[in-house]
Amino acid sequence: MERIGVFVCHCGINISSMVDVESIVERVRELDGVVEAKSYKYMCSDRGAQIIKKSIEEKGIDGAVIACCSPRMHEPTFRGVAEDGGMNPFTVEIANIREQCSWAHDSRERSTEKAMKLVMSSVAKARLLEPLERGRTPVIPNALVIGGGIAGIQASLDLANEGFRVYLVEKDPSIGGRMAQLDKTFPTLDCSSCILTPKMMEVYHHPNIDLMTYSEVLSIEGSIGDYRVKVRRKPRYVDVDRCTGCGDCVTACRMRDRIPDEFNMGLSNRSAIYIQFPQAIPLKAVMDSETCLFHRFGKCGDGPLCVEACEAEAIDFEQKEEVAELNVGAIVVATGYDLLDPASLHEYGYSRSKNVITTLELERLISSSGPTKGEVRLPSSGERPRSVTMIMCVGSRDETQCSWCCRIGCMTALKQVILLRENLGEEVEINILYTDIRSFGKGYEEFYRNVRAENTNFFRGRPSEVRIRNEDIRIDIFDTITNKLFEIRTDMVVLVPAVVPRADSGEFARMMNLSRSGDGFLLEAHLKLKPMDTFVNGIFIAGCCQGPKDITDTVAQASGAASRAAGILSKKELENDPLIAVVDADLCSGCRICISLCPYSAIEPVVETMAGEEVVHAEINEVLCQGCGACVAACPSGAINQMGFKDNQILAMIGVLNDCSDAGGLK
Amino acid sequence: MSITDMTSMAEAQSDLRSEINKRLERLILGVSDYCYQCAKCTSGCESHKLLELEPHQIVALLKRGLIDEMVNSEIIWTCMSCFKCKERCPQKVPPVDILFALKNLTVLTGKQVPGDYTQMLQSVMSIGYIQDRQTVPTRSGDTVKREDLGLPVLSGLQDPNGFQNIITASAVEKI
Amino acid sequence: MKLALYPGCLMPTEQYAYEMSIRETLPLMGVEIVDLPGFSCCGEPLKSINQMLTLHMSARNLSIADREGIDLLVPCPMCHLALSEAKNILDGNGEMKKRINAKLREEGLEYIGKQRLFHIIDLVHDEIGLDTIRERVKKTLPDLNMAAHYGCHILRPSEMGRPVDSENPRKMEAILLSLGVRSEDYAEKLDCCGGPLLPNHPETSLAKTGQKLQAVSEQGFDGMVLACPWCQKMFDSKQTKAAESVGSRAHVPVLYLTQLMGLAFGIDDAKLGLNLNLSPVDDLGLKGEVE
Ligand SMILES: Cc1cc2nc3c(=O)[nH]c(=O)nc-3n(C[C@H](O)[C@H](O)[C@H](O)COP(=O)(O)OP(=O)(O)OC[C@H]3O[C@@H](n4cnc5c(N)ncnc54)[C@H](O)[C@@H]3O)c2cc1C
Ligand code: SF4
Ligand code: SF4
Repeated sequence: MERIGVFVCHCGINISSMVDVESIVERVRELDGVVEAKSYKYMCSDRGAQIIKKSIEEKGIDGAVIACCSPRMHEPTFRGVAEDGGMNPFTVEIANIREQCSWAHDSRERSTEKAMKLVMSSVAKARLLEPLERGRTPVIPNALVIGGGIAGIQASLDLANEGFRVYLVEKDPSIGGRMAQLDKTFPTLDCSSCILTPKMMEVYHHPNIDLMTYSEVLSIEGSIGDYRVKVRRKPRYVDVDRCTGCGDCVTACRMRDRIPDEFNMGLSNRSAIYIQFPQAIPLKAVMDSETCLFHRFGKCGDGPLCVEACEAEAIDFEQKEEVAELNVGAIVVATGYDLLDPASLHEYGYSRSKNVITTLELERLISSSGPTKGEVRLPSSGERPRSVTMIMCVGSRDETQCSWCCRIGCMTALKQVILLRENLGEEVEINILYTDIRSFGKGYEEFYRNVRAENTNFFRGRPSEVRIRNEDIRIDIFDTITNKLFEIRTDMVVLVPAVVPRADSGEFARMMNLSRSGDGFLLEAHLKLKPMDTFVNGIFIAGCCQGPKDITDTVAQASGAASRAAGILSKKELENDPLIAVVDADLCSGCRICISLCPYSAIEPVVETMAGEEVVHAEINEVLCQGCGACVAACPSGAINQMGFKDNQILAMIGVLNDCSDAGGLK
Repeated sequence: MSITDMTSMAEAQSDLRSEINKRLERLILGVSDYCYQCAKCTSGCESHKLLELEPHQIVALLKRGLIDEMVNSEIIWTCMSCFKCKERCPQKVPPVDILFALKNLTVLTGKQVPGDYTQMLQSVMSIGYIQDRQTVPTRSGDTVKREDLGLPVLSGLQDPNGFQNIITASAVEKI
Repeated sequence: MKLALYPGCLMPTEQYAYEMSIRETLPLMGVEIVDLPGFSCCGEPLKSINQMLTLHMSARNLSIADREGIDLLVPCPMCHLALSEAKNILDGNGEMKKRINAKLREEGLEYIGKQRLFHIIDLVHDEIGLDTIRERVKKTLPDLNMAAHYGCHILRPSEMGRPVDSENPRKMEAILLSLGVRSEDYAEKLDCCGGPLLPNHPETSLAKTGQKLQAVSEQGFDGMVLACPWCQKMFDSKQTKAAESVGSRAHVPVLYLTQLMGLAFGIDDAKLGLNLNLSPVDDLGLKGEVE
C-alpha cells in the first residue's frame, strides 16, 4: 500500500515501561510510504479507534501497522476499526511489541531496539499488502441430523420448529436409540417411553422432518452452507405405505422366536420379519434378509408365511437398496454410544453365567414390554432372585479398559435399586459394590441419599473374583470401609459396564472427516467453550457420541447443537475469510503432496486438457480452507501462496529484520 | 442371600440391624443408613484420640449387620456422650445414639456392665438419685455436709417402693 | 417470675456451691424459686444401661412440672438435655407417649409437655436480660479474662433445641461482660470435660480434663467459668489429679457463673459456697475486692 499509518500502543504501561514508544513513532515517520505515525495509551479503546479512523479520513491512509499486543488478542478488533473507517480490513498488519518485546525482556534499550525492528518489518510488509475481499457462499437452509436417539430427536425437532427442513437419518428400523430400551429414568423416575414416545410421534408427523430410518450416510461432500450427502436406504422388504404395523407377519414367520432380539439384548427371540419394539416409529415391519429363509435359500417352505399373513400385501421381496442425495447447509451428528462388552473382564463371569447380566439387560427385564413382561427373573431358571449384587465401574476408570468415568453408571445402578425393590418386594437383598458414588446432577445426590435409606448394602471396593458353580454365585469383596473381606452369596449379578464409542465410530468419523479424542468419542472444537462444534465448520455433535452423558445433558447439548446449526441456516449466505491458500495452476506440477497434508480436505485435484494433453493441478476450496498454511510450506513447486502472507511480503519482513539499513528500500 | 465376614466367619445379623434402626426411628434420632462414611464424626470424636473409638466404624458395622462384634467389644463403652458426632454429621446420623443402642443391647443380653453403672442404678432404684448427699471437702481443709450449708432439705421420693416397682419394669424394657 | 428448681442428682448431693449460688442470686434478679417434692434422677446417667429407663425417668420429672403447672429451672446441662430429649420424643411419637404415660399413671402422673425448661444461661441472658444484670452489679471485679466453658450437653445436640448456639455460643461471654469480666474465645472452647467417662474409664476421663485445663492455662486465662455440675466436678474438684494425669502443673481457678454473678452483686462469698471450690480461686483476688 502507498499511504501507511503506524499506530503504536502503550498498553497502559505494559508496553511503554519497557519500550520507548515515542522513539518508535519518531523513527517510523521517516519511512517510505508512512504518512501518519501516532501513539496512544490504549489503542484498542474507543478513543484509539477514533484516532485510526481519523487518519483514514484525513490522511487517506490505505494501510495500517498497529504495534500492540499479540494479533490473537486484537487483530479482529483493528480489522473491524479499519473497515468501519472505510479502509480494506486486510491491509492491517499487527506488530506484536508486547508479548514479544516488553513482556519478554528486561532491558528497555534492547527491547525498544527489537520493537523498532518489528514495526519496521511490518511496515515493509504493509507496503506490499493487497486489499482482499471476503468470498460469499449461499446457504442451503436444510439440515441433516444423523442418529435418531434422544439427541437426534431433540435436535431435529428444534430445527424443524425453527422452520428448517430436516433429514433425520437413523440406521435402525426405528428411532428412539438407547432411551427406548430403558424402563424408568433417574432422577425423577418417569417412565422412559412415556416421555420419549410423544417426541418420536412429533418427529414422525412434523411437516418439516423427513424421517429416513433403516438408513446410513454413505458419503459427504461440500462444505458449510452447502453439503452434499449420500444416504443409503436399506430395503425393508416391506412396503411402508401399505404396512399397518399389525404384526401378523411377525407371528406367522417360520423363524418366529428363533433369532436373538437385539432390542431385548438377546434375552428373547424374534422372527426374521419383526417390529423393533411396540412403540417403534415408524411402526412398520422390517425383514432381516440375513435370517429370512426366503432370502437365504430362495424358498421358505411352501411359500413365505409372511406374505400369506399380510392382508395389506405389503411384503415385497423385490425391494432394492436406494441411495438418496441430500443437499444441506449444516449437520448435527448424534450417533450415541455403546456399552463395553463385559466379557472383556472375564473375572466378572459375564460369559460364564446367564445370571450375570448388564444394567441394560436389567432395564429390559424390568420393562413391561421386555422379554419377561416386566417380571425380574433369573435368566437361567426363570425364578425370582432373592439377592442381587451390582458391580459398578466394570471397565470404567480402569487403565486396562476405559480410563474415563461413564457418568451414568452410578445413577443407573441406584435407580435400579428402586426399580428392583418395586419389582421384587422389600425383602430382596441388594448389594452395591462401588469405588465412588458420583451423583453430580441436579437432584442426583438427593436420589442417592434416598437409596441409601433403602436398606441397601454398599461395599466400597471392586471384587476381583466372581465364582460360579451352577446357580451358586459367590463374590469375594474387600470392603475398604470396614477393612474386612466379605463373601457375598447372591443369585444375580448386574454389571455396570463402561460407556464406549459406537463400534463403527472410527469409520464413521473418517467418512465425516471428524476428529476423535483419545477415548474414541467424537472430538469437540473446545471442551468448554465450543462443546457442540467440531473442527469441520457446519458439523455439530450432540449427545453420547461426544462422550458419556445422561439424558438431561444430552438434550441440552442437542438443543445447543441445533441452535448452532440454525445460526448458519438462518443466513442467506456466508462470508469466507480471504486469508486462504491459492494455487497458481501454471506452477503446480500436480504432485498431490498438498492434498495428503491438508487437515481440512480442502484441496482436490483438477484435470484439465491443455493443448490436447491432460494435466492435473491442485485446486483449493476457498470455503473449506482454514488458512493454516500447511500446503504453502509443503509445495515443492512453490505454487501455493497464502493470501496475506505472500512470499514477497514475508521476504520483505525478513529483509528488514536482517539489516535495517538497506533492506526493503527503507530510508 | 448371605454376607459373611471371612475373617471371623460371622454372618450379617440383619434382624438386629433393623431392630436398632427401628429404635432410632422411634426415638426420632435419625437414620443410620444415610451414613456415607465421611468420618467427620471420628475426626471430631472426643474419645477417639484417647481411646480409639471410631464412630464412623460403628455405623459401618451396623450397616453391615456385624452387631455381635460390637456388643462383644469394650470399645462401645468409651463414648463420652459429647454428642459432637451427631451434631456435626452432614447426614444427620447419630453415632452416639447407635452406641447407646448397642450398650443397651449388651446389658439386655446379660453381659457384665463395666464401671460404676450398676451402683448408680441401684442407688436410683432406692433413693431416686445416683448417689446420696455427700460430705465434701472445703478449700480450707474441713469437710461439710449439705445440712451445714443452709440449703433446704432435699425432698426425696414420696413413695420409694412404688417408684422402685415401676422403674424396675422400665429398666429391662426394650424400646 | 416463678420457677421450680429441678435439682438433678449431682448438684444437691455434692455440688452444693452451685445450688447455694443459684438460690442466692436468682431472687436478686426477680426469680422466685419453688421447691417441689417428688423429683428424681433424670435418667441420663443410666442411658447406657437402658434408654427406656432414661425416657421414663425424664418424663416422670416433666410430668411433676405439668402437675404443678410450673416451668422448670434445670441448672444441670445433662438433666436439661435428658428432659429436652424426652420432650422431643414424646411430643414427636404418639405411640411412645402412650406407652410412657401408662407407666406414669401408676404414680398418678401424666406427661402433657406444656411446661418450659430453663438453664441458668438462657434464663439470665434471654429472660432476665443483661440490663437487669448490669443494674444489680454492686462491686467492681478485678480485670479478669475468664475462659467460658459451656459443657457438651448445653451445646448439643442442637436438634433438641439447646439454650445456646451449638457452634458459636456467646451468651455466657455476654453475661460475663455485663459483670465487667472479659472472656476471650479459645480453640478448645467446645471440648468435652471428660466427665461422662468417669464411671468406667477414670484415667482417660481425667486426662481429658487435664488437657483442657492445660490449654486454658497455656493461653493465659485467669480462670474458667462454667455452668455445669459435672464439668465443675472435673475441672475444680478433680483439678489436681486431672492436671497430674497429663503431667501438667496447671493451676486454674474454676468457678460457677452464678458464683461470679453473686460476687459482683456483692453477696458474701460464704453464701456462695466459694470455700467449696477446691481450685485456687483465691488467686483471682475476688474476695479481697468484695470484702
Ligand atoms: C442401562 C442404562 C440406563 C440408563 N438410564 C438412564 C436414566 O435413567 N436417566 C438418564 O438420564 N440417562 C440414562 N441412561 C443414559 C441414556 O441412555 C443416554 O443419555 C441417552 O440414551 C443418550 O442419547 P443419544 O441420543 O446421545 O444416544 P443413543 O441413545 O445411543 O442414540 C443414538 C442413535 O443413533 C443411531 N446411530 C448410531 N450410529 C448411526 C449412524 N452411523 N447412522 C445413523 N444412525 C446411527 C443409533 O441407532 C441410535 O438410535 C442410561 C443408560 C444405560 C446404559
Ligand atoms: S455418621 Fe455421619 S459423620 Fe460419621 S461417617 Fe457417617 S455420615 Fe460421616
Ligand atoms: S458422643 Fe461419643 S462417639 Fe460421639 S463424638 Fe462424643 S465421644 Fe465420640
